[in-house]
Amino acid sequence: MTAVTLASPGAAVRYAPPIETELERLVAALGAIPALAERYPLRWLAVQLLEGDEHLLAEAEGLGGPAVTAALAASRERLAPHYGEDLDVALVDQRYRFVHTLARQALTRPAAPPLTLSDRIDRVVTHRWLGIPIFLALMWVVFKLTTDVAAPFVDWVDATLSGPVSGWATALLGAAGLGGSWLESLLVDGVIAGVGGVLVFVPVLLALYFALALLEDSGYMARAAFVMDRLMHALGLHGKSFLPMVVGFGCSVPAIYATRTLDSRRDRILTGLLVPFMSCSARLPVYVLIAAIFFPAQAGLVIFGLYLTGIVVAIVIGMLLRRTLFRNQPPAPFVLELPPYRLPTPRGVWRQMWERTAAFLRKATTIILATSIVVWLLLALPVRGGGRFADTPVEQSAFAALSGAVAPVFAPLGFGGWETSGALLTGFVAKEVVVSTLGQTYAVAELEEAAEAAPTNFGEDLLGIAGGLVSATGDALQVLPGVIGITLETPEEETALEGLAAAVRAGFEASSGGHGALAALAFLVFVLLYTPCMTAVAAARHEFGSRWMWVSIVGQFVVAWLAALLVFQGGRLLGW
Amino acid sequence: MLHQVLQALETASGPVSLDDLSRQLGVDRGVLEDMIAFWVRKGRLQTGAGGACGKGCGSCGPRAEACVFKAGGPQTITLVERERR
Repeated sequence: MTAVTLASPGAAVRYAPPIETELERLVAALGAIPALAERYPLRWLAVQLLEGDEHLLAEAEGLGGPAVTAALAASRERLAPHYGEDLDVALVDQRYRFVHTLARQALTRPAAPPLTLSDRIDRVVTHRWLGIPIFLALMWVVFKLTTDVAAPFVDWVDATLSGPVSGWATALLGAAGLGGSWLESLLVDGVIAGVGGVLVFVPVLLALYFALALLEDSGYMARAAFVMDRLMHALGLHGKSFLPMVVGFGCSVPAIYATRTLDSRRDRILTGLLVPFMSCSARLPVYVLIAAIFFPAQAGLVIFGLYLTGIVVAIVIGMLLRRTLFRNQPPAPFVLELPPYRLPTPRGVWRQMWERTAAFLRKATTIILATSIVVWLLLALPVRGGGRFADTPVEQSAFAALSGAVAPVFAPLGFGGWETSGALLTGFVAKEVVVSTLGQTYAVAELEEAAEAAPTNFGEDLLGIAGGLVSATGDALQVLPGVIGITLETPEEETALEGLAAAVRAGFEASSGGHGALAALAFLVFVLLYTPCMTAVAAARHEFGSRWMWVSIVGQFVVAWLAALLVFQGGRLLGW
Repeated sequence: MLHQVLQALETASGPVSLDDLSRQLGVDRGVLEDMIAFWVRKGRLQTGAGGACGKGCGSCGPRAEACVFKAGGPQTITLVERERR
């Protein structure tokens, strides 16, 4: 933009004739009051008073008395037939017009404004057709990074918790004379198997939060919302719904509260019903565990597919609801302020990773710990056979009896075992609890194997932990290029599953009549689509009331059940 | 000119970026931001962020950074309900 001439060096703002007339009258009236005339430029004061500057009016009234109020009221009354209540809008609008006209006469603009770097990037990433494939490709990289790079660290944390940490706890209790007691069972089978089973996935979450922090801090996530908004709008949904739904990728609870950004209550309820279908980060540990057991070579693809399924289900259900319960809701267009692209800073990325992981750790030491203890108590309580408290086969425990009672509901879906049914029941508290409960119910065999391992001393344990970390770092660096399709590692032969993984696999095979992988996929789809957690339910009740909360719970259960049925029975019919 | 901003929003067929709107109206982005701020003060438009956490949940920490996508969400500007009617 180049300044060439100033068209009217002495140009003054001229308002429409009725306003100019009143300004002249007001200037005359105000000028008759010396205290005002000495203190203010009178035309400016008159404009401000007509615009409704209350602070200035109070000052003017203080100096000029009731004459100011009377003159202003008379002017406003005469202008009311022309402008109604929008006199201030007319004044501001006429100033904008004046400046715009002046600028147009004084400035020469290039025919096509120069594109900034952000503009150039936006032309590609928010492109009508390229935008969504780019978004999906980036999400794919995020999940590859999350699963492949974090996997060696997951194994390291798992080996550390189930090996040395469990060993130290047992040794400490043994030294205190509590070896073999119920307290040892609580600590090892309850706390370490339960909470530890969830903590194993801290590296996965760190990797996820790292990738998301890069996308957020660079400014891309705002573009992703823009691109998806456009898609949803095209499908007849309220485009603005996608903002809470994107938040739902992190956690359903803030996503439900984020529906407040929508204007109408019906839009808020509709979006609140859809948000839980978006796969929150709490479900990720379940995906990683099951995908690593049943689909080790395609874990990233399976997880990516689940996230995509969540979006598709949300859109389909949204379209159905929009055409039935929520008809006659005109979509409301809106403006998005897209921030400029920035280079993410290591400090900013680390702060987000830490805040989110710390929140997960807080959850592990509160909700998950409490649920693990309750599950352990129910597992320790015999209701059949001749076992005693904390010394009973898990199949004869109260937990097995309770879970077994609901297991027939899941039998047509291929995962009607009491262990998986129990995990889905406790998963209502929080999705990570599915993993901790599976860890607890299947932990026996693994612990027996650990007990058979050769005893080590504290120093050897520490060396083993450090060595494991170095080895995991090396493995992660080796798989890193694989995220973008370059394979450096030599392909390993598929190793036999051990401990928890073998027990989970055997459980699914048994409950599905030999279609374990299909049942596992159906289980993942069910976990994706049923109620996220009790906190999300409380948020839905708080925002939309009890009736819609129950619609949400029952609706999600029905959708999850039907989708899992479709996967399992459909897969069987297709001969998978 | 001010009313053109409201009209552009009423007639848009989907979300519009601030840059696109400034090109459509032929005004600088800074001027458009001022015009939007005026309508926000007048109560005809409202602004909002993508996320609205503020409530303690199982996954959230005490700070906004703990909410995934909260920080990365775009600012939105919408017509208030009475304006749409």
